[in-house]
Amino acid sequence: MIEANQLTKSFKMYPSKRGILNSMRSLFSAKYEIKHAVDAISFKINEGEFVGYIGPNGAGKSTTIKMLSGILHPSSGTATVLGINPQKERKQLARNIGIVFGQRTQLWWDLPVKDSFEILKAMYRISEQDYRLFLKKYDDILEIGRFLETPVRKLSLGQRMRADLAAAMIHNPSVLFLDEPTIGLDVVAKKNIREFLKEMNRSHQKTIILTTHDMDDIEQLCSRVIVINQGKTVLDGSLEQLKNHIGLPSILKVLFDERVNPKNIIGVEKIEQIDSELTILYDRSKITSPALLQEISQWGTPKDIQMKEPEIEEVIQYFY
Amino acid sequence: MKLKLYIKLVSASIRSRMQYKMNFVFSMVSYGIVMMIDFLMLAAILNRFNEVKGWNLYEVGILYGISSVSLSLYRTVAPEIHEFEKYMIEGEFDSLLIRPVSPLVLLLSKNLDLSRIGGALQGMIIIALSLYHVSHTHSITLLLIYLPVILVCGWVISFSLALVTATIAFWTQRIKDFQTFTLYAPFYAANYPMNIYPGWLKFIFFTVIPVAFINYVPMLFLLNKSGNIYYLLLPVLVALLFFYLALAFWNFGIRFYHSTGT
Repeated sequence: MIEANQLTKSFKMYPSKRGILNSMRSLFSAKYEIKHAVDAISFKINEGEFVGYIGPNGAGKSTTIKMLSGILHPSSGTATVLGINPQKERKQLARNIGIVFGQRTQLWWDLPVKDSFEILKAMYRISEQDYRLFLKKYDDILEIGRFLETPVRKLSLGQRMRADLAAAMIHNPSVLFLDEPTIGLDVVAKKNIREFLKEMNRSHQKTIILTTHDMDDIEQLCSRVIVINQGKTVLDGSLEQLKNHIGLPSILKVLFDERVNPKNIIGVEKIEQIDSELTILYDRSKITSPALLQEISQWGTPKDIQMKEPEIEEVIQYFY
Repeated sequence: MKLKLYIKLVSASIRSRMQYKMNFVFSMVSYGIVMMIDFLMLAAILNRFNEVKGWNLYEVGILYGISSVSLSLYRTVAPEIHEFEKYMIEGEFDSLLIRPVSPLVLLLSKNLDLSRIGGALQGMIIIALSLYHVSHTHSITLLLIYLPVILVCGWVISFSLALVTATIAFWTQRIKDFQTFTLYAPFYAANYPMNIYPGWLKFIFFTVIPVAFINYVPMLFLLNKSGNIYYLLLPVLVALLFFYLALAFWNFGIRFYHSTGT
Protein backbone atom coordinates (compact mmCIF):
# COMPACT_ATOMS: atom_id res chain seq x y z
CA MET A 1 0.00 0.00 0.00
CA ILE A 2 2.82 2.38 0.92
CA GLU A 3 6.26 1.43 -0.23
CA ALA A 4 9.64 3.10 0.04
CA ASN A 5 12.49 1.57 -1.86
CA GLN A 6 16.00 2.83 -1.09
CA LEU A 7 14.44 6.26 -0.72
CA THR A 8 17.14 8.92 -0.48
CA LYS A 9 17.11 12.70 -0.28
CA SER A 10 20.35 14.59 -0.16
CA PHE A 11 20.79 18.32 -0.04
CA LYS A 12 23.67 20.41 -1.18
CA MET A 13 24.41 22.75 1.65
CA TYR A 14 25.79 26.04 0.42
CA PRO A 15 27.00 28.57 2.89
CA SER A 16 24.08 30.98 2.54
CA LYS A 17 24.78 34.58 1.66
CA ARG A 18 22.80 37.66 0.84
CA GLY A 19 23.13 40.00 -2.11
CA ILE A 20 22.94 39.17 -5.78
CA LEU A 21 26.63 38.72 -6.40
CA ASN A 22 27.07 36.42 -3.47
CA SER A 23 24.00 34.38 -4.24
CA MET A 24 25.07 34.12 -7.89
CA ARG A 25 28.47 33.00 -6.77
CA SER A 26 27.13 30.39 -4.42
CA LEU A 27 24.87 29.19 -7.25
CA PHE A 28 27.89 28.25 -9.31
CA SER A 29 30.47 27.66 -6.63
CA ALA A 30 31.76 24.18 -5.95
CA LYS A 31 31.83 24.85 -2.24
CA TYR A 32 29.12 22.74 -0.70
CA GLU A 33 28.54 19.82 1.56
CA ILE A 34 26.21 16.98 0.72
CA LYS A 35 23.89 16.12 3.53
CA HIS A 36 21.76 12.99 3.40
CA ALA A 37 18.51 13.93 5.10
CA VAL A 38 17.09 10.53 4.21
CA ASP A 39 19.53 7.80 3.40
CA ALA A 40 18.34 4.69 1.52
CA ILE A 41 15.23 4.02 3.58
CA SER A 42 13.03 1.07 2.63
CA PHE A 43 9.79 -0.12 4.12
CA LYS A 44 6.44 -1.53 3.18
CA ILE A 45 3.25 -0.60 4.96
CA ASN A 46 0.07 -2.58 4.52
CA GLU A 47 -3.53 -1.49 4.47
CA GLY A 48 -4.90 -0.64 7.91
CA GLU A 49 -1.56 -0.36 9.66
CA PHE A 50 -0.90 2.43 12.15
CA VAL A 51 2.79 3.19 11.96
CA GLY A 52 4.73 5.45 14.30
CA TYR A 53 7.60 7.07 12.45
CA ILE A 54 9.94 8.40 15.07
CA GLY A 55 13.42 9.77 15.57
CA PRO A 56 15.20 12.84 16.90
CA ASN A 57 14.87 16.29 15.36
CA GLY A 58 16.45 16.43 11.94
CA ALA A 59 16.43 12.64 11.58
CA GLY A 60 14.56 12.88 8.29
CA LYS A 61 10.97 12.15 9.35
CA SER A 62 9.33 15.13 7.67
CA THR A 63 11.50 14.73 4.60
CA THR A 64 10.34 11.12 4.19
CA ILE A 65 6.70 12.13 4.53
CA LYS A 66 7.18 14.92 2.03
CA MET A 67 8.63 12.47 -0.46
CA LEU A 68 5.78 10.01 0.10
CA SER A 69 3.23 12.75 -0.50
CA GLY A 70 4.91 14.12 -3.63
CA ILE A 71 6.06 17.44 -2.17
CA LEU A 72 9.73 16.58 -2.57
CA HIS A 73 11.48 14.67 -5.31
CA PRO A 74 13.80 11.94 -4.01
CA SER A 75 17.47 12.17 -4.99
CA SER A 76 17.34 8.44 -5.64
CA GLY A 77 15.12 5.49 -4.84
CA THR A 78 11.38 5.31 -5.33
CA ALA A 79 8.17 5.66 -3.40
CA THR A 80 4.79 4.19 -4.20
CA VAL A 81 1.60 5.09 -2.39
CA LEU A 82 -1.65 3.31 -3.29
CA GLY A 83 0.10 2.14 -6.44
CA ILE A 84 0.77 5.74 -7.45
CA ASN A 85 4.14 7.35 -8.01
CA PRO A 86 3.84 10.48 -5.82
CA GLN A 87 6.12 12.62 -7.99
CA LYS A 88 4.69 11.69 -11.37
CA GLU A 89 1.04 11.72 -10.37
CA ARG A 90 1.02 14.13 -7.47
CA LYS A 91 -2.47 15.51 -8.11
CA GLN A 92 -3.94 12.06 -8.49
CA LEU A 93 -2.36 11.04 -5.18
CA ALA A 94 -3.56 14.22 -3.45
CA ARG A 95 -7.15 13.05 -4.00
CA ASN A 96 -6.46 9.88 -2.07
CA ILE A 97 -4.35 10.95 0.90
CA GLY A 98 -4.87 13.31 3.80
CA ILE A 99 -1.98 15.30 5.24
CA VAL A 100 -1.72 17.20 8.52
CA PHE A 101 1.30 19.23 9.53
CA GLY A 102 1.00 19.98 13.23
CA GLN A 103 3.20 23.04 12.98
CA ARG A 104 1.35 24.71 10.18
CA THR A 105 -2.34 24.94 9.47
CA GLN A 106 -3.67 24.13 6.01
CA LEU A 107 -6.73 26.30 6.60
CA TRP A 108 -7.34 29.86 5.49
CA TRP A 109 -6.02 31.84 8.42
CA ASP A 110 -8.31 34.87 8.34
CA LEU A 111 -11.52 33.12 7.34
CA PRO A 112 -14.08 31.15 9.35
CA VAL A 113 -13.41 27.41 9.48
CA LYS A 114 -16.53 26.79 7.41
CA ASP A 115 -15.15 28.86 4.51
CA SER A 116 -12.02 26.72 4.41
CA PHE A 117 -14.16 23.59 4.28
CA GLU A 118 -16.21 25.02 1.44
CA ILE A 119 -13.12 25.88 -0.57
CA LEU A 120 -11.82 22.34 -0.06
CA LYS A 121 -15.22 20.99 -1.02
CA ALA A 122 -14.91 22.75 -4.38
CA MET A 123 -11.27 21.73 -4.76
CA TYR A 124 -11.94 18.03 -4.20
CA ARG A 125 -15.28 18.17 -6.04
CA ILE A 126 -17.35 16.86 -3.15
CA SER A 127 -21.08 16.58 -3.66
CA GLU A 128 -23.46 18.61 -1.53
CA GLN A 129 -24.77 15.43 0.06
CA ASP A 130 -21.33 14.04 0.96
CA TYR A 131 -20.38 17.44 2.34
CA ARG A 132 -23.36 17.51 4.66
CA LEU A 133 -22.55 13.99 5.84
CA PHE A 134 -18.98 15.09 6.44
CA LEU A 135 -20.02 18.05 8.61
CA LYS A 136 -22.38 15.85 10.60
CA LYS A 137 -19.90 13.05 11.10
CA TYR A 138 -16.99 15.25 12.18
CA ASP A 139 -19.19 17.30 14.42
CA ASP A 140 -20.00 14.05 16.19
CA ILE A 141 -16.38 12.94 16.61
CA LEU A 142 -14.42 16.20 16.72
CA GLU A 143 -17.16 18.65 17.69
CA ILE A 144 -16.18 21.00 14.91
CA GLY A 145 -19.70 22.44 14.87
CA ARG A 146 -18.84 24.61 17.86
CA PHE A 147 -16.33 26.75 16.00
CA LEU A 148 -17.41 26.54 12.35
CA GLU A 149 -18.10 30.27 12.20
CA THR A 150 -14.90 31.31 13.99
CA PRO A 151 -11.90 32.62 11.99
CA VAL A 152 -9.03 30.16 12.16
CA ARG A 153 -6.69 32.71 13.72
CA LYS A 154 -9.00 32.94 16.74
CA LEU A 155 -9.12 29.19 17.46
CA SER A 156 -7.24 27.59 20.32
CA LEU A 157 -4.45 25.25 19.30
CA GLY A 158 -6.57 22.21 20.14
CA GLN A 159 -9.54 23.48 18.13
CA ARG A 160 -7.30 24.37 15.23
CA MET A 161 -5.86 20.88 15.18
CA ARG A 162 -9.35 19.35 15.20
CA ALA A 163 -10.32 21.61 12.32
CA ASP A 164 -7.15 20.66 10.45
CA LEU A 165 -7.79 16.95 10.99
CA ALA A 166 -11.36 17.27 9.77
CA ALA A 167 -10.14 19.22 6.74
CA ALA A 168 -7.71 16.42 5.93
CA MET A 169 -10.63 13.95 5.97
CA ILE A 170 -13.00 15.92 3.76
CA HIS A 171 -12.28 13.85 0.65
CA ASN A 172 -12.35 10.61 2.64
CA PRO A 173 -8.75 9.56 1.92
CA SER A 174 -7.66 6.03 2.68
CA VAL A 175 -4.14 7.04 3.74
CA LEU A 176 -3.22 9.65 6.35
CA PHE A 177 0.16 11.28 6.84
CA LEU A 178 0.29 13.06 10.18
CA ASP A 179 3.37 15.10 11.00
CA GLU A 180 3.31 15.82 14.74
CA PRO A 181 -0.43 16.32 15.11
CA THR A 182 -0.24 16.52 18.91
CA ILE A 183 2.59 19.03 19.19
CA GLY A 184 1.98 21.74 21.75
CA LEU A 185 -1.42 20.42 22.82
CA ASP A 186 -2.53 20.02 26.43
CA VAL A 187 -3.37 16.63 27.93
CA VAL A 188 -7.10 16.79 27.22
CA ALA A 189 -6.65 17.92 23.62
CA LYS A 190 -4.07 15.18 23.05
CA LYS A 191 -6.49 12.60 24.39
CA ASN A 192 -9.23 13.80 22.02
CA ILE A 193 -6.94 13.64 19.02
CA ARG A 194 -5.70 10.18 19.96
CA GLU A 195 -9.21 8.86 20.32
CA PHE A 196 -10.10 10.28 16.96
CA LEU A 197 -7.08 8.71 15.29
CA LYS A 198 -7.77 5.38 16.95
CA GLU A 199 -11.28 5.39 15.58
CA MET A 200 -10.13 6.38 12.10
CA ASN A 201 -7.75 3.44 12.13
CA ARG A 202 -9.93 0.79 13.81
CA SER A 203 -13.40 1.52 12.46
CA HIS A 204 -12.57 3.23 9.20
CA GLN A 205 -9.53 1.14 8.21
CA LYS A 206 -7.42 4.19 7.43
CA THR A 207 -3.75 3.51 6.95
CA ILE A 208 -1.86 6.02 9.07
CA ILE A 209 1.75 7.15 9.33
CA LEU A 210 2.35 9.34 12.35
CA THR A 211 5.44 11.23 13.39
CA THR A 212 5.54 12.41 16.96
CA HIS A 213 7.75 13.39 19.86
CA ASP A 214 5.28 12.00 22.33
CA MET A 215 5.95 8.49 23.59
CA ASP A 216 2.34 8.19 24.76
CA ASP A 217 1.11 8.74 21.19
CA ILE A 218 3.18 5.78 20.11
CA GLU A 219 2.18 3.54 23.00
CA GLN A 220 -1.51 4.19 22.64
CA LEU A 221 -1.82 4.24 18.89
CA CYS A 222 0.84 2.46 16.93
CA SER A 223 1.00 -1.22 16.19
CA ARG A 224 4.29 -0.76 14.42
CA VAL A 225 7.22 1.56 14.91
CA ILE A 226 9.88 2.69 12.48
CA VAL A 227 12.76 4.48 14.15
CA ILE A 228 15.13 6.57 12.08
CA ASN A 229 18.24 8.43 13.06
CA GLN A 230 20.44 10.54 10.81
CA GLY A 231 18.42 9.48 7.80
CA LYS A 232 18.76 5.73 8.35
CA THR A 233 16.30 3.16 9.67
CA VAL A 234 17.55 1.86 12.99
CA LEU A 235 14.52 -0.19 13.94
CA ASP A 236 11.41 -1.40 12.17
CA GLY A 237 9.15 -3.57 14.27
CA SER A 238 6.34 -3.81 16.77
CA LEU A 239 5.98 -1.62 19.82
CA GLU A 240 7.05 -4.67 21.86
CA GLN A 241 10.28 -4.91 19.91
CA LEU A 242 10.99 -1.23 20.49
CA LYS A 243 10.39 -1.70 24.18
CA ASN A 244 12.58 -4.77 24.37
CA HIS A 245 15.26 -3.02 22.40
CA ILE A 246 15.53 0.22 24.29
CA GLY A 247 13.29 -0.59 27.26
CA LEU A 248 11.68 2.85 27.26
CA PRO A 249 13.86 3.86 30.18
CA SER A 250 13.20 6.61 32.65
CA ILE A 251 15.88 9.24 32.95
CA LEU A 252 17.57 10.48 36.10
CA LYS A 253 20.02 13.36 36.01
CA VAL A 254 22.27 13.73 39.04
CA LEU A 255 24.80 16.46 39.65
CA PHE A 256 27.51 15.55 42.18
CA ASP A 257 29.85 17.95 43.88
CA GLU A 258 32.79 16.10 42.35
CA ARG A 259 33.52 13.46 39.72
CA VAL A 260 32.36 9.99 40.80
CA ASN A 261 32.94 6.41 39.71
CA PRO A 262 29.60 4.85 38.81
CA LYS A 263 29.14 1.11 39.39
CA ASN A 264 26.80 -1.35 37.71
CA ILE A 265 23.33 -1.52 39.20
CA ILE A 266 20.67 -4.03 38.15
CA GLY A 267 17.94 -2.23 36.19
CA VAL A 268 20.22 0.57 35.01
CA GLU A 269 20.62 0.40 31.28
CA LYS A 270 23.02 3.17 30.53
CA ILE A 271 25.03 5.82 32.31
CA GLU A 272 26.51 8.88 30.67
CA GLN A 273 28.96 11.04 32.51
CA ILE A 274 29.96 14.59 31.73
CA ASP A 275 32.26 15.89 34.46
CA SER A 276 30.31 15.55 37.68
CA GLU A 277 26.94 15.16 36.00
CA LEU A 278 25.46 11.72 35.42
CA THR A 279 22.58 10.85 33.13
CA ILE A 280 21.17 7.49 34.12
CA LEU A 281 18.71 5.54 32.01
CA TYR A 282 16.92 2.90 34.02
CA ASP A 283 13.98 0.54 33.83
CA ARG A 284 11.38 1.30 36.47
CA SER A 285 10.00 -2.23 36.35
CA LYS A 286 13.37 -3.54 37.58
CA ILE A 287 14.43 -0.91 40.05
CA THR A 288 12.34 1.71 41.88
CA SER A 289 13.42 5.31 41.89
CA PRO A 290 14.02 5.49 45.69
CA ALA A 291 16.13 2.32 45.56
CA LEU A 292 18.17 3.77 42.72
CA LEU A 293 18.69 7.03 44.58
CA GLN A 294 19.93 5.14 47.58
CA GLU A 295 22.48 3.26 45.50
CA ILE A 296 23.66 6.43 43.81
CA SER A 297 24.13 8.37 47.00
CA GLN A 298 26.80 5.87 47.94
CA TRP A 299 28.99 7.11 45.06
CA GLY A 300 29.20 10.68 46.33
CA THR A 301 27.15 13.62 47.53
CA PRO A 302 24.44 14.59 45.04
CA LYS A 303 23.93 18.36 44.69
CA ASP A 304 20.95 18.27 42.39
CA ILE A 305 18.61 15.55 41.14
CA GLN A 306 16.21 15.72 38.20
CA MET A 307 13.80 13.06 37.03
CA LYS A 308 12.40 12.99 33.53
CA GLU A 309 9.76 11.02 31.76
CA PRO A 310 11.16 9.24 28.73
CA GLU A 311 11.17 11.29 25.56
CA ILE A 312 11.76 9.60 22.26
CA GLU A 313 14.31 12.19 21.27
CA GLU A 314 16.64 11.61 24.13
CA VAL A 315 16.19 7.88 24.40
CA ILE A 316 17.02 7.36 20.77
CA GLN A 317 19.99 9.66 20.87
CA TYR A 318 21.42 7.76 23.81
CA PHE A 319 21.02 4.43 22.12
CA TYR A 320 22.10 5.04 18.57
CA MET B 1 -14.87 23.85 -13.15
CA LYS B 2 -11.35 25.30 -12.90
CA LEU B 3 -12.75 28.81 -13.26
CA LYS B 4 -15.35 28.22 -10.57
CA LEU B 5 -12.66 27.10 -8.17
CA TYR B 6 -10.50 30.07 -9.10
CA ILE B 7 -13.35 32.50 -8.40
CA LYS B 8 -14.06 30.79 -5.09
CA LEU B 9 -10.41 31.01 -4.03
CA VAL B 10 -10.02 34.61 -5.17
CA SER B 11 -13.14 35.70 -3.34
CA ALA B 12 -11.78 33.99 -0.21
CA SER B 13 -8.54 35.91 -0.56
CA ILE B 14 -10.35 39.21 -0.98
CA ARG B 15 -12.44 38.48 2.10
CA SER B 16 -9.23 37.73 4.01
CA ARG B 17 -7.69 40.96 2.80
CA MET B 18 -10.74 42.97 3.78
CA GLN B 19 -10.14 41.95 7.37
CA TYR B 20 -7.45 44.60 7.32
CA LYS B 21 -9.22 47.46 5.54
CA MET B 22 -7.00 50.32 6.63
CA ASN B 23 -3.93 48.58 5.32
CA PHE B 24 -5.64 48.10 1.96
CA VAL B 25 -6.64 51.74 1.59
CA PHE B 26 -3.23 52.94 2.69
CA SER B 27 -1.28 50.80 0.22
CA MET B 28 -3.58 51.86 -2.66
CA VAL B 29 -3.07 55.54 -1.92
CA SER B 30 0.68 55.29 -1.41
CA TYR B 31 1.15 53.27 -4.59
CA GLY B 32 -0.84 55.83 -6.60
CA ILE B 33 1.33 58.66 -5.28
CA VAL B 34 4.57 56.83 -6.13
CA MET B 35 3.37 56.24 -9.71
CA MET B 36 2.37 59.90 -10.18
CA ILE B 37 5.76 61.17 -9.01
CA ASP B 38 7.40 58.70 -11.33
CA PHE B 39 5.59 60.05 -14.35
CA LEU B 40 6.04 63.71 -13.41
CA MET B 41 9.78 63.11 -13.45
CA LEU B 42 9.60 61.56 -16.92
CA ALA B 43 7.49 64.48 -18.19
CA ALA B 44 9.93 66.99 -16.72
CA ILE B 45 12.85 65.39 -18.52
CA LEU B 46 10.98 65.19 -21.83
CA ASN B 47 9.80 68.78 -21.55
CA ARG B 48 13.38 69.89 -21.36
CA PHE B 49 14.58 67.91 -24.37
CA ASN B 50 11.42 67.95 -26.48
CA GLU B 51 12.22 64.67 -28.14
CA VAL B 52 14.26 61.54 -27.68
CA LYS B 53 15.98 60.25 -30.81
CA GLY B 54 13.03 61.04 -33.04
CA TRP B 55 10.26 60.26 -30.52
CA ASN B 56 8.32 63.23 -29.17
CA LEU B 57 6.82 63.60 -25.69
CA TYR B 58 3.48 62.00 -26.60
CA GLU B 59 5.01 59.11 -28.47
CA VAL B 60 7.21 58.35 -25.47
CA GLY B 61 4.08 58.78 -23.32
CA ILE B 62 2.48 55.88 -25.22
CA LEU B 63 5.54 53.70 -24.63
CA TYR B 64 5.54 54.68 -20.97
CA GLY B 65 1.83 54.03 -20.55
CA ILE B 66 1.95 50.58 -22.13
CA SER B 67 4.95 49.51 -20.06
CA SER B 68 3.33 50.81 -16.90
CA VAL B 69 -0.07 49.19 -17.54
CA SER B 70 1.58 45.83 -18.35
CA LEU B 71 3.56 45.79 -15.14
CA SER B 72 0.64 47.00 -13.00
CA LEU B 73 -1.71 44.36 -14.42
CA TYR B 74 0.81 41.68 -13.60
CA ARG B 75 1.28 43.07 -10.08
CA THR B 76 -2.52 43.08 -9.61
CA VAL B 77 -3.08 39.50 -10.69
CA ALA B 78 0.06 37.79 -9.42
CA PRO B 79 1.28 39.35 -6.17
CA GLU B 80 2.15 35.90 -4.82
CA ILE B 81 4.47 35.26 -7.78
CA HIS B 82 6.12 38.57 -7.04
CA GLU B 83 6.50 37.70 -3.36
CA PHE B 84 7.43 34.12 -4.13
CA GLU B 85 10.56 34.01 -2.01
CA LYS B 86 8.49 33.93 1.16
CA TYR B 87 7.19 30.53 0.06
CA MET B 88 10.74 29.27 -0.09
CA ILE B 89 12.04 30.85 3.07
CA GLU B 90 9.08 29.88 5.22
CA GLY B 91 8.59 26.53 3.51
CA GLU B 92 4.99 27.49 2.76
CA PHE B 93 5.21 25.99 -0.70
CA ASP B 94 4.54 22.58 0.91
CA SER B 95 0.93 23.55 1.51
CA LEU B 96 0.40 24.16 -2.21
CA LEU B 97 1.77 20.78 -3.19
CA ILE B 98 -0.64 18.69 -1.13
CA ARG B 99 -3.67 19.76 -3.18
CA PRO B 100 -5.04 18.17 -6.34
CA VAL B 101 -4.64 21.49 -8.17
CA SER B 102 -1.55 22.91 -9.81
CA PRO B 103 0.48 25.08 -7.43
CA LEU B 104 0.50 27.90 -9.98
CA VAL B 105 -3.30 28.07 -9.96
CA LEU B 106 -3.27 28.08 -6.16
CA LEU B 107 -0.66 30.85 -6.07
CA LEU B 108 -2.56 33.02 -8.54
CA SER B 109 -5.83 32.55 -6.71
CA LYS B 110 -4.35 33.18 -3.31
CA ASN B 111 -4.27 36.91 -3.64
CA LEU B 112 -5.27 39.81 -5.86
CA ASP B 113 -3.50 43.07 -5.18
CA LEU B 114 -6.31 45.47 -6.06
CA SER B 115 -4.29 48.46 -4.89
CA ARG B 116 -2.17 48.05 -8.05
CA ILE B 117 -5.17 48.84 -10.25
CA GLY B 118 -4.36 52.47 -9.45
CA GLY B 119 -1.11 52.05 -11.39
CA ALA B 120 -2.92 50.55 -14.39
CA LEU B 121 -5.47 53.39 -14.42
CA GLN B 122 -2.72 55.98 -14.27
CA GLY B 123 -1.00 54.29 -17.24
CA MET B 124 -4.27 54.24 -19.19
CA ILE B 125 -4.76 57.97 -18.58
CA ILE B 126 -1.28 58.71 -19.90
CA ILE B 127 -1.95 56.56 -22.98
CA ALA B 128 -5.26 58.38 -23.61
CA LEU B 129 -3.70 61.85 -23.26
CA SER B 130 -0.78 60.92 -25.49
CA LEU B 131 -3.06 59.37 -28.13
CA TYR B 132 -5.15 62.52 -28.21
CA HIS B 133 -2.09 64.59 -29.10
CA VAL B 134 -0.69 62.04 -31.51
CA SER B 135 -4.01 61.92 -33.36
CA HIS B 136 -3.38 65.42 -34.70
CA THR B 137 -0.59 64.11 -36.91
CA HIS B 138 -1.28 60.38 -37.32
CA SER B 139 -4.24 58.17 -37.95
CA ILE B 140 -4.72 56.22 -34.75
CA THR B 141 -7.56 53.90 -35.78
CA LEU B 142 -5.34 50.84 -36.15
CA LEU B 143 -3.51 51.75 -32.96
CA LEU B 144 -6.76 51.89 -30.99
CA ILE B 145 -7.88 48.55 -32.37
CA TYR B 146 -4.54 46.96 -31.62
CA LEU B 147 -4.06 48.51 -28.15
CA PRO B 148 -5.89 45.75 -26.20
CA VAL B 149 -3.71 43.14 -27.89
CA ILE B 150 -0.58 45.09 -26.94
CA LEU B 151 -1.67 45.35 -23.33
CA VAL B 152 -2.48 41.66 -23.06
CA CYS B 153 0.88 40.74 -24.64
CA GLY B 154 2.70 43.13 -22.30
CA TRP B 155 0.92 41.60 -19.37
CA VAL B 156 1.78 38.05 -20.48
CA ILE B 157 5.43 38.98 -21.07
CA SER B 158 5.78 40.64 -17.67
CA PHE B 159 4.09 37.70 -16.00
CA SER B 160 6.41 35.28 -17.79
CA LEU B 161 9.49 37.27 -16.76
CA ALA B 162 8.25 37.26 -13.18
CA LEU B 163 7.56 33.53 -13.30
CA VAL B 164 11.08 32.82 -14.56
CA THR B 165 12.46 34.99 -11.76
CA ALA B 166 10.28 33.24 -9.18
CA THR B 167 11.51 29.86 -10.46
CA ILE B 168 15.09 30.89 -9.68
CA ALA B 169 14.03 30.85 -6.03
CA PHE B 170 13.91 27.03 -6.12
CA TRP B 171 17.70 27.18 -6.18
CA THR B 172 18.58 30.49 -4.53
CA GLN B 173 15.66 30.89 -2.06
CA ARG B 174 15.87 34.66 -2.44
CA ILE B 175 14.83 36.53 -5.60
CA LYS B 176 14.37 40.15 -4.52
CA ASP B 177 17.80 41.08 -5.92
CA PHE B 178 17.14 39.30 -9.21
CA GLN B 179 13.86 41.14 -9.68
CA THR B 180 15.74 44.42 -10.02
CA PHE B 181 17.52 43.02 -13.07
CA THR B 182 14.71 41.01 -14.63
CA LEU B 183 11.68 43.22 -13.92
CA TYR B 184 12.19 46.70 -12.53
CA ALA B 185 15.15 47.80 -14.64
CA PRO B 186 13.89 46.40 -17.98
CA PHE B 187 10.42 47.88 -17.50
CA TYR B 188 11.92 51.20 -16.55
CA ALA B 189 14.07 51.00 -19.67
CA ALA B 190 10.98 50.21 -21.78
CA ASN B 191 9.53 53.60 -20.85
CA TYR B 192 11.85 55.00 -23.53
CA PRO B 193 12.41 54.02 -27.17
CA MET B 194 14.93 51.22 -27.55
CA ASN B 195 17.11 53.09 -30.03
CA ILE B 196 18.59 55.18 -27.22
CA TYR B 197 20.33 52.14 -25.74
CA PRO B 198 23.74 50.69 -26.67
CA GLY B 199 23.82 47.53 -28.79
CA TRP B 200 24.44 44.98 -26.07
CA LEU B 201 21.56 46.32 -23.99
CA LYS B 202 19.29 46.35 -27.02
CA PHE B 203 20.29 42.74 -27.64
CA ILE B 204 19.12 41.79 -24.15
CA PHE B 205 15.82 43.63 -24.52
CA PHE B 206 15.11 41.91 -27.82
CA THR B 207 16.03 38.41 -26.61
CA VAL B 208 16.34 37.14 -23.02
CA ILE B 209 14.27 39.94 -21.48
CA PRO B 210 12.06 40.78 -24.46
CA VAL B 211 10.54 44.04 -23.22
CA ALA B 212 11.14 45.69 -26.60
CA PHE B 213 8.19 43.72 -27.99
CA ILE B 214 5.80 45.05 -25.38
CA ASN B 215 5.67 48.58 -26.83
CA TYR B 216 8.63 49.60 -28.99
CA VAL B 217 8.30 47.11 -31.86
CA PRO B 218 4.56 47.54 -32.54
CA MET B 219 4.78 51.31 -32.06
CA LEU B 220 7.54 51.59 -34.69
CA PHE B 221 4.97 50.48 -37.24
CA LEU B 222 1.88 52.09 -35.73
CA LEU B 223 3.56 55.50 -35.49
CA ASN B 224 4.87 55.21 -39.06
CA LYS B 225 8.52 55.12 -38.04
CA SER B 226 9.60 51.94 -39.76
CA GLY B 227 8.73 48.31 -40.22
CA ASN B 228 5.67 46.62 -41.65
CA ILE B 229 2.44 45.01 -40.60
CA TYR B 230 4.28 41.91 -39.35
CA TYR B 231 5.60 44.00 -36.49
CA LEU B 232 2.12 43.64 -35.04
CA LEU B 233 2.37 39.89 -35.07
CA LEU B 234 5.71 39.78 -33.26
CA PRO B 235 4.45 40.76 -29.76
CA VAL B 236 1.85 37.98 -29.89
CA LEU B 237 4.39 35.37 -30.97
CA VAL B 238 6.98 36.50 -28.43
CA ALA B 239 4.40 36.54 -25.64
CA LEU B 240 3.20 33.02 -26.47
CA LEU B 241 6.70 31.62 -26.84
CA PHE B 242 7.95 33.29 -23.68
CA PHE B 243 4.94 32.18 -21.68
CA TYR B 244 5.46 28.62 -22.84
CA LEU B 245 9.16 28.70 -21.94
CA ALA B 246 8.45 30.26 -18.53
CA LEU B 247 5.90 27.53 -17.73
CA ALA B 248 8.33 24.81 -18.81
CA PHE B 249 11.09 26.34 -16.68
CA TRP B 250 8.73 26.57 -13.70
CA ASN B 251 7.71 22.91 -14.03
CA PHE B 252 11.36 21.97 -14.28
CA GLY B 253 12.28 24.08 -11.25
CA ILE B 254 9.64 22.53 -8.97
CA ARG B 255 11.64 19.30 -9.02
CA PHE B 256 14.38 21.13 -7.18
CA TYR B 257 12.18 22.48 -4.44
CA HIS B 258 13.74 21.36 -1.20
CA SER B 259 11.39 22.66 1.47
CA THR B 260 12.57 23.62 4.93
CA GLY B 261 12.99 21.60 8.08
CA THR B 262 10.12 21.92 10.51
